[in-house]
Amino acid sequence: MPLDARSDDDDAALLARYARGDAAAARALTVRLVPRAHAQAFRMLGDAAEAEDVAQEAMVRLWRVAPDWRAGEAQVTTWLYRVVSNLCTDRLRKRPRSGVALDDVAEPMDPAPGAEDKMQDDARRDALRGAMAELPERQRLALSLRHFDGASNPEIAETLGVSVEAVESLTARAKRALAQALKGRAAALGYKG
Amino acid sequence: MKRPSEQPDPDWIGDMLDDLGKAPVPDPSGDLVARVLADAEAHMPPPGGVRTVPPVWQRVVQGIGGWGVIGGLVAATVAGFVVGVGTLDGTGADALWTLGYDAYYDAELGLDAFGWALEEG
Repeated sequence: MPLDARSDDDDAALLARYARGDAAAARALTVRLVPRAHAQAFRMLGDAAEAEDVAQEAMVRLWRVAPDWRAGEAQVTTWLYRVVSNLCTDRLRKRPRSGVALDDVAEPMDPAPGAEDKMQDDARRDALRGAMAELPERQRLALSLRHFDGASNPEIAETLGVSVEAVESLTARAKRALAQALKGRAAALGYKG
Repeated sequence: MKRPSEQPDPDWIGDMLDDLGKAPVPDPSGDLVARVLADAEAHMPPPGGVRTVPPVWQRVVQGIGGWGVIGGLVAATVAGFVVGVGTLDGTGADALWTLGYDAYYDAELGLDAFGWALEEG
């Protein structure tokens, strides 16, 4: 039997089946949700192993909540998105800050073509991830839905349960907060701030 | 009105976010899928959806012997209270006052007339 044998069922229906002891529903949910949770965690953390741990932990929480899940109150994907986001934020906030300026990073002895660019890309992404972890939850979710998942403002509004105007306000405030947090590092990160 | 330095242009932040969003993401490993499926099996309710872990209050009741024992405890408590009140009734209701805080306090300090002697020196 293929893993995603119940692809016609929506996530909530599959979760209800799982809560009634249907192993095939668990397999279908795993195939459907794990890649998304893993990709979201990887973008937020930048570390494949940590992203896998977060995806696993988020799915454990989903299995635990399954018997008490109330269909219609929330979408499974939205719930999981928030869980992954919060798990990643917890990890990012516990990470020690390097505090090393980009100019202080030693040049490689025999740099391969593009090595310096890659270092700058990594530094830029790490700086952004750290700054995003400090944002309030709704601002962080709005930004990641917009820029990581390509969601439109109405889609973000539906996911977060707010108006489209509120989404515009959330993303604008989030970007200003990020710009403020990264102020002074824009040039070092390769941007004209 | 804010100065330009206090109101940074966030366009470059949008570029950074888009860059991060477009960065390649590795596929989840087969090991992750196996771990998630193992977790699912470990937490899966039995067929029919009967909860494997009853609520806390049910576990407490079961832990001390069930509803029969709870009923016995309640009956014994009520009976003990009734017997206790009946014993006091044999010595008179005034006996209750000898156990009171006020009488003890006044007797220990040698006060009378509600402690006015102490207040007046």
